[in-house]
Amino acid sequence: MKKQPSYLAVSVAISAAVAIGATLAASPAFAQSVDTARIEAGGQNDWLTYHGSYKSYHYSPLAQINTGNVANLSVAWIHIPGRSTRGLQSMPLVADGVLYYTGSYSRVFALNGATGEVIWSYFPELDEGLIARQTHSPYNRGVAIGDGKVYVGTMDGRLIALDMKTGKVAWDTKLIDSQKLTVGFTGAPLFAKGTVVIGAQGGEWPGRGPIFGVDAATGKKKWEFLTVAGTDDAMKTWGSDSWRTGGGGGWMPGTYDTDTNTVLWGTANPAPLYDWSGADFKTQGARPGDNLYTSSVIALDVDTGKLKSFHQELPHDAWDFDSAVGEFLMLDRDGQKLVVHPNKSGYIFVYDRNLAVKNVWRITQNSNFVKNIDPKTGELIGRRDFAAGKVEEPLCPHISGGVSWNSGSYNPKTGLYYKLGQEWCMTLDVMKTTPIVAPQAQLNIGANFKIAPPPGGEIYGHLDARDPVTGAKKWEVRFPEPPLASVLSTGGNLVFVPDSRGTVHAYDADSGTELWNHSDGTGHQGGIISYSAGGKQYVAVVAGFGGMASDDYAPTFGGVYKSMPRDDGALIVYSLK
Amino acid sequence: MAAGEPVQTAPRRTGEPMWLTKPDLSLMKTSHVMKLDLLPRAVLAAALTCATPTWAQQPAPGAPDNAPFDAEQLFASTCGWCHSDGGRAAGKGPQLMGTSKSDDFIRERIKNGKPGAMPAFDGALSDAQIDAIIKYIRSLKPQQG
Repeated sequence: MKKQPSYLAVSVAISAAVAIGATLAASPAFAQSVDTARIEAGGQNDWLTYHGSYKSYHYSPLAQINTGNVANLSVAWIHIPGRSTRGLQSMPLVADGVLYYTGSYSRVFALNGATGEVIWSYFPELDEGLIARQTHSPYNRGVAIGDGKVYVGTMDGRLIALDMKTGKVAWDTKLIDSQKLTVGFTGAPLFAKGTVVIGAQGGEWPGRGPIFGVDAATGKKKWEFLTVAGTDDAMKTWGSDSWRTGGGGGWMPGTYDTDTNTVLWGTANPAPLYDWSGADFKTQGARPGDNLYTSSVIALDVDTGKLKSFHQELPHDAWDFDSAVGEFLMLDRDGQKLVVHPNKSGYIFVYDRNLAVKNVWRITQNSNFVKNIDPKTGELIGRRDFAAGKVEEPLCPHISGGVSWNSGSYNPKTGLYYKLGQEWCMTLDVMKTTPIVAPQAQLNIGANFKIAPPPGGEIYGHLDARDPVTGAKKWEVRFPEPPLASVLSTGGNLVFVPDSRGTVHAYDADSGTELWNHSDGTGHQGGIISYSAGGKQYVAVVAGFGGMASDDYAPTFGGVYKSMPRDDGALIVYSLK
Repeated sequence: MAAGEPVQTAPRRTGEPMWLTKPDLSLMKTSHVMKLDLLPRAVLAAALTCATPTWAQQPAPGAPDNAPFDAEQLFASTCGWCHSDGGRAAGKGPQLMGTSKSDDFIRERIKNGKPGAMPAFDGALSDAQIDAIIKYIRSLKPQQG
């Protein structure tokens, strides 16, 4: 980082101010505004953007809670947002001791980070008739904050800005005609340089998967990038006019590269998810060609939305392995600036800052959709393209991915990347479907399928501690059912993993030894953060199961999943006694 | 209102027509007939000025009631993610093969969904399509081999 870490002096002052505020009044002082510079500096008491900082580490430098005392971690407070249909999937944010998070139906809360007291709440009025028709709904992955406002997307295609202090609506902009296209926003937005960026859902529906840049002050749309055939060059990669119903989208937040004024974003899969082209996907099938810019990482100018560079992780993605998942780790290694990004398949891509491939390694142990991906070029080797009919050998990984859309964590003190891998496969029966010719309220999957264990074994999940650039594995912890939530690591040398049964685990970041665990009462499929308020460190995690991957757990695994609710959830916050 | 402009009023609610705004014809650079009988007449009239490409002469999933129609295809497109193995196995949704639920129950469930568990397909699927899906469900047998 080029700047002196002056945020240290600032954060000490803020802690003092918050401590005083907490004793005198119910709400802490809103010490100073959150702007791009402050998010870039990544204040150690705060969690100012979805991925923790623009570096996307999902890491807190706080060390008050550490390997020596984590055994004493216990519940400080709980918040229940209500109406948690499909569970809780959001990543809380914290600025100056105030925690902001969302529940289903884009309910937004601002809470006192030390006590859990509700400062304000906002429940948008939504088109509930539309939401009843949506499949990937009504969950929400979180807010962005910046320039005095809190930003949240809705399932009916709007981006809303709320005053950070009061929760009053500053502006409410309709970006997508969700009635027509079915898709809306489930992902958290990203705030950078006076612009709020948010990506639509898309892959399963006939649309063109837009990503939007909106002026943070006024709510006016500044730009729109179509992930399906968004440039003339890209248009040529969609045969049979399939760009018209291509899918795409960018449904999870990326990050902002302050050096180059660039937004890095991952895009979703094309539609139909499963093609019948056989090996000649360039000229046959439902969508002949590479299908740019689906299943790609793209770099857009934050001011104009113009495409600066891209790498398509999976040309002609025939397996629903989006690039719209996970983190963009911004690392320096041996004087080179790198970006590490997981693809949903479980292949982890290492790029330079212009998105040239530097290395590719794989976290999944059972994977056969390709033989390999060339680590020098990113070229797919031995890809399995299907013809219509039953696929003989089960496809690995399963449609729920080799990794979740949730994030892993990079710990700059250990130099290790803590990432969850998922081991499951699927039987597949591909249909030659009629092209869906116009956007409509209907999925476009293209196959029947069923979850299956990996060859010769059981389904399982694993937390790996890996070198993020080489993929060299230091240690691994296995779970009988794949954990689906995000991972947190801290300066206290801890790695926190919320699992699917409902237990949060803390591991020693160097060795993987489990040091603490606690049950949250229901499965996890969302965010976990750490922050400080009033001089005390907290770990906050959302619990509440019921998303697209979690819905498979009861029929597949039985056990506790059979009684686990799919419409409930809570925010649980831990601290030392 | 145009997309991209901030709004002050509440969004559209249930019961209002699906195609309230002019259809975004920028999505279709070349002109094609939209063979979707679910569209209101005004929109169909606007679309009928366009020509028909050869590959679009197959009936689209939203085809008129009397056109030939493939329930297996529709199931794979729309239902298969949750109703595993073509409806033969329990997955995100229950097993449909051999179900004891009545035709009326299934029809109602497809149209209105189940909050938090299944979306409502009323408006996306015609009555003829739903009838064809029910027929498909009743015909389901275990996979061979």
